[in-house]
Amino acid sequence: MKSHTRPDERLRAYFLLVLPAVTIYFAVIAFPTIFSITLSLTDYSGGIVFGDRADWSFVGFKHYFRMFRDQYFWIAFKNNIWIMLMSLFIQIPLGFTLAYTIFRKLIVGREFFQTIIYMPTIISCIVVAVLWQTFFSPYGPITDFMRLFNPLWENNLANDPNLAILPVLFVMVWYYTGMYLIIFLANLQKIDSQILEAAQIDGANERQMLFNIILPALSGVVVVTAILAISGSLKSFDLIFAMTSGNPARRTSVLALYMYDNAFKGSPDYPLANAISTFMVAVSFALILVTKKLENRFGGKE
Amino acid sequence: MGFKYGRLGAKPTAGALIGRTILVLILLTFTVMTIYPILWLIQSSLKTTQEFQMNRIGLPIEPTLSNYPLAWKIGGFTSLFLNSILYTSISTIAIVFLSLSASFAFAKIRMRATKFLYQSFVVGILLTLQSIMVPLFLLTNMVGLYDTRIGILIPYIGLGLPMGVYLGTEFIRSIPDSLIESARLEGAGYIRIFISIIFPISVPVAVTLAIMTVTSIWNEFMLINILASKNSIKSLPVGILKFSGALSSDYGKQFAALVIGMLPMLIFYLIFRKHIQRGLAAGAVKG
Repeated sequence: MKSHTRPDERLRAYFLLVLPAVTIYFAVIAFPTIFSITLSLTDYSGGIVFGDRADWSFVGFKHYFRMFRDQYFWIAFKNNIWIMLMSLFIQIPLGFTLAYTIFRKLIVGREFFQTIIYMPTIISCIVVAVLWQTFFSPYGPITDFMRLFNPLWENNLANDPNLAILPVLFVMVWYYTGMYLIIFLANLQKIDSQILEAAQIDGANERQMLFNIILPALSGVVVVTAILAISGSLKSFDLIFAMTSGNPARRTSVLALYMYDNAFKGSPDYPLANAISTFMVAVSFALILVTKKLENRFGGKE
Repeated sequence: MGFKYGRLGAKPTAGALIGRTILVLILLTFTVMTIYPILWLIQSSLKTTQEFQMNRIGLPIEPTLSNYPLAWKIGGFTSLFLNSILYTSISTIAIVFLSLSASFAFAKIRMRATKFLYQSFVVGILLTLQSIMVPLFLLTNMVGLYDTRIGILIPYIGLGLPMGVYLGTEFIRSIPDSLIESARLEGAGYIRIFISIIFPISVPVAVTLAIMTVTSIWNEFMLINILASKNSIKSLPVGILKFSGALSSDYGKQFAALVIGMLPMLIFYLIFRKHIQRGLAAGAVKG
């Protein structure tokens, strides 16, 4: 460094600037993360954690085995996978399609469409959940709509264990697709318009431009949206909590809800709850790594 | 630019025309699907519960605002609003200020600790609230902050820092070193440089960050749901849930409550739409 820098002042300033953020971050995120992994390996049941009178001991992976033997774990995990597949294969392609239609100026009033489709994303999850819960309930308008087409339609969406996840998936498409639209649109607009003009002058048709110019330019963004979809679908909680609470018969439960039930409903089972959350983080990181590997393998360029 | 590359060649083939029509139809359908439930909610809030039961999809025959004062009173919205405003404003100010000050140190003061500290913040972007929910609940209880406003504010600030530090550091790195060097030559300390040079230049990223934070804290539900049990410290999202349980068959009041809960963010969105969308695109760079 330059001669005019006084090391004392530099060091003091550095710590003054960094300390508040670092302290809060370590207290709120870093330490609890480690604490959570530790708890999942103990038999802690709510007593004293630190000091001589600490009331717990290590029990190894016992709670992970318990978790894997629990049928409710598998129901919840399966729903997370459904949500993930829906995000990857419906939300992302739909978000791209909408962004592409707007970007290619196939329609007027592009600002309007962009504004409307992104709108749900900023409304509170809870408002959205209660709204749709009423909408899909036997007393809600969905019954009137379906009877326009089929007068004998019976609304079992809320009680049939096999159907109950469908409204949840539908609402997720409604709620989050706008986010992917905006991400794709922002990145489509970064593509150099001269390249597209040149291709067009050279006689490239729409399909060639899409597959040879636009999609390759977006491969990095596709990876980012895939990561968002994967981590987002493992996180899902609020919407389902308020819309179905995981019912009927826990058939719409997800891992985060399964964890919540074990930690905060009835007698708390903290070690199991932390085993679940550790599992969620591990799966999320593993899938993100796989996505990155696939990206390298298939030559996505960033 | 002038050249409209969107208008494709003069004579599109039949296939291209069909393709374009399908794309436009998808866009139109999805847009109607998006806006309809929101409009339906607003029109339904203008019906009495009796009228709603007779007429669930039509326009209100005798529109009335009578649901609103009742919903406001039952829901205790005055206190919910005050709490939401308090949590959102304090967390936002703290997140913006703390993130930028740490970002400045990470970006412009060379220290060996930076690599480790900055990386830990970036990893934090990928961690989820779920993974720390139980420990946060236990720790909050241990230190006696359960059911207090401060016990909600501290985690809120902590959760916003990773994204703030990431965006701030990326931005401040792009500020030329010469600006800082010349201020140093004139004898300015780093703290003064931060306040009088870096912070003013960082206003664009501060605005983006503030708007992202406002939307996420205003809508936050999961954490406050486990950290607050007293009605007097609850925020809007937790308060509105009341209308899904015991009051769910009183549709008129339920819809009015949902509109009350939705309106502030909707107005905020219509004002700051550009910023919100820019923030999303910026945040998504790192996933």
